[in-house]
Amino acid sequence: MRARYADGRAAITRETECTLAADTLNFIIGETRAEWSYADLARADDGNGCIILKRKPDTGERLYFESEHEAELRAAAPNLFTKRARGIESPLIAASLAAAAYACAAAFLIGVPMASGPIADIMPTASREQIADISWSQVNALTDYCDDSDEAARILNDMAHRMMTAAQVPQRDNVWITIVDAPIPNAFALPDESIIVTAQLIAMAEQPDELAGVIAHEIAHIERNHVLKNIVSNMGAGIFFDIVVGGGGIGQAVAVASVNLAGLSYSRDFEREADARGLDYLDAADIDTAGLARMFDHLRTAAEGDVEGAIPALLSTHPDTATRGADARARSRPGLAQPLTEQEWRVVRSACGSGGGPALPAPAAAQPAEQPEKTPPS
Amino acid sequence: MTSEAAPAQAFRHSGKFIDVMGLAAKNALLTLLTFTLYRFWARTSMRRRLWSRVSAMGDPLEYTGTALELFRGFLIALPTFFLPAIFVYYIAPLALDPGTAGWLAFGFYLLAVPLIAAARYLMRRYQLSRTHWRGIRFGLAGSAAGFAFASSGWTVLQWLSLFWYTPVSRMNRAKLLWENARFGDQPFEFVEDGQSPQKDLWWPFALGWFGTAFAVPTVFGIVLSVGLAYLGLDAVASGEQATEPPPNFIAGVVIAYLIAVIGALLGYLLVWAPYNAAAMNAIAARLSLDGARFRLRAKTFSLFLVTLAGWIVTIFSIGLLAPIAGFLQVRYVINRFEILGEPRFAEIGQSIVSAPNAGEGLGDAFDLDMGVGVI
Ligand SMILES: [Zn+2]
Repeated sequence: MRARYADGRAAITRETECTLAADTLNFIIGETRAEWSYADLARADDGNGCIILKRKPDTGERLYFESEHEAELRAAAPNLFTKRARGIESPLIAASLAAAAYACAAAFLIGVPMASGPIADIMPTASREQIADISWSQVNALTDYCDDSDEAARILNDMAHRMMTAAQVPQRDNVWITIVDAPIPNAFALPDESIIVTAQLIAMAEQPDELAGVIAHEIAHIERNHVLKNIVSNMGAGIFFDIVVGGGGIGQAVAVASVNLAGLSYSRDFEREADARGLDYLDAADIDTAGLARMFDHLRTAAEGDVEGAIPALLSTHPDTATRGADARARSRPGLAQPLTEQEWRVVRSACGSGGGPALPAPAAAQPAEQPEKTPPS
Repeated sequence: MTSEAAPAQAFRHSGKFIDVMGLAAKNALLTLLTFTLYRFWARTSMRRRLWSRVSAMGDPLEYTGTALELFRGFLIALPTFFLPAIFVYYIAPLALDPGTAGWLAFGFYLLAVPLIAAARYLMRRYQLSRTHWRGIRFGLAGSAAGFAFASSGWTVLQWLSLFWYTPVSRMNRAKLLWENARFGDQPFEFVEDGQSPQKDLWWPFALGWFGTAFAVPTVFGIVLSVGLAYLGLDAVASGEQATEPPPNFIAGVVIAYLIAVIGALLGYLLVWAPYNAAAMNAIAARLSLDGARFRLRAKTFSLFLVTLAGWIVTIFSIGLLAPIAGFLQVRYVINRFEILGEPRFAEIGQSIVSAPNAGEGLGDAFDLDMGVGVI
């Protein structure tokens, strides 16, 4: 059969006549007789209409056949017409790549979070402060510091220290509460052991023990180093996406977001641990744990009246507020005194200039739903 | 042998849209399933498909690169680029003081300019060394560092000149790339005829520049305000009693904004199409291989349509079918490409330029060329 031969030494082809033997393809070029074993040949055409053969390993030589010879060639050398011969990789490659990808994903998305505890515990103070700076810049961007909140913050910090002293929390000297003005009722801990409480959350609390319950919960997050553990485990995902996707910036976005929003999304286990530990503090400090339960009720009511999803932060990450409220109620010791005096509570309530009228007792059930809407003058 | 008249159509691209689309879809699926690890295999099979459909003087090109070579290139780029990047973006902000970390990140961005240029050169070298025609290899001589250095300088001049230096730097880059390109042992030439290579590019470039600076924002503004007036008034009329803006007002704003963005994108492609067509034609007209010259007949409007089609496929597939855009461009160029005269192919021997044994690690990092090598 007719074919054209390129010798791999010049960019021309020469006509030749090929014969197909049992195991070899034979042709004559000039004085030379070529004998190519079918087993040592590969396709070079990717199914483009003609059939081009080359040798393994590549010598630069090529044999070109018109498509009309396909049937004869196929009969003589079926190995040249398999998918593999055309260069399509075996499904095994795709399968093992998928396996490798999932193993790698597991290492970063499961392994790093699992190791996040030890990593967070050995993280040097300098690194912790750097992360805290990033968190603070986020807090500063999204909230306003309440200028006249110094006295209120001092009162809350005293209350927090009474709880921590009673419960013998080790790092109690570093914990510091800051009151800010933000669009949502919320409280969260930062990597430098600060706690941010929004004036909107204070406005939502009807009695001091409700606020004490939330603060105790946040102190527990700090005592158990949940903030840093969270950040480290999210960074595993960020680095994974960066490596696999090839530096497309997605990973950085994930990691930066995780650092900035630290404290707003803990796992259910962390929440349970912080709840249990927080209730211990309250008990130790003789504060009624039912306060925390009532705070959960307010948040739930607020969320029900909240169509735009403006209040997701505390609640959506605290999925089973009803159950958790019940836990807090179960440990309630009714009749305990409020942790703040009426005078102190009035100061706290007016921290962001909201006027601080008499707050106890707050009558209307619909009240909490409306509170977030009120933006106190700053 | 002397130059003979070339065949009527020396270059042809016989790729079928549906065929390429099928392969691109399969590749996209496997790429997703493997968290993008399959991308090296996807690229390789797509290149083999696109190359094999290009025929020159009746014989097809052949792509001989393998996925493992690309994978090896990625593994090489991992410690040399990705790990430093991870240090700069993750570790440094935590371990160093903010000032140092900030400067480090800034320096890294600056470094990206020459690094991308070098990556582009190395990518071209790899692709050419894996391209065969009649068993003869293409190649790229020269130094990637030299190209990176020169190219970065031109980039800085582009910035300083508010991009008016762009036509010059485009021709400079083309000259440097093509003068180092080889077919077998035969170098390509970038012919100097005493005239400035970019002399036909200034008017089309001015159209693109002023169009981007004035016309495109104007189109955007007009479409947005017309859309807002229409959709917004409608929404207000339907929801008059409500104290808050009705939900379809928000939807109206979003739709008007989207339409305006699409209008601006169309305008952008349209104002730059004459420049892109002129630049491609000008580069082709300067090329020479063993005395044979080339001609490209890219036309403004057809180039615009091809580019637009590529954008549409890419956007609607969130980038997964981006190789389709490359395919449309390559097919457009090949089918409008001509050779004047014929090189003495019998005299052109096998390439002596050394071929890299791993490919494109950095090109992969920067995701250059959307998965196929467009000229
Ligand atoms: Zn919590």
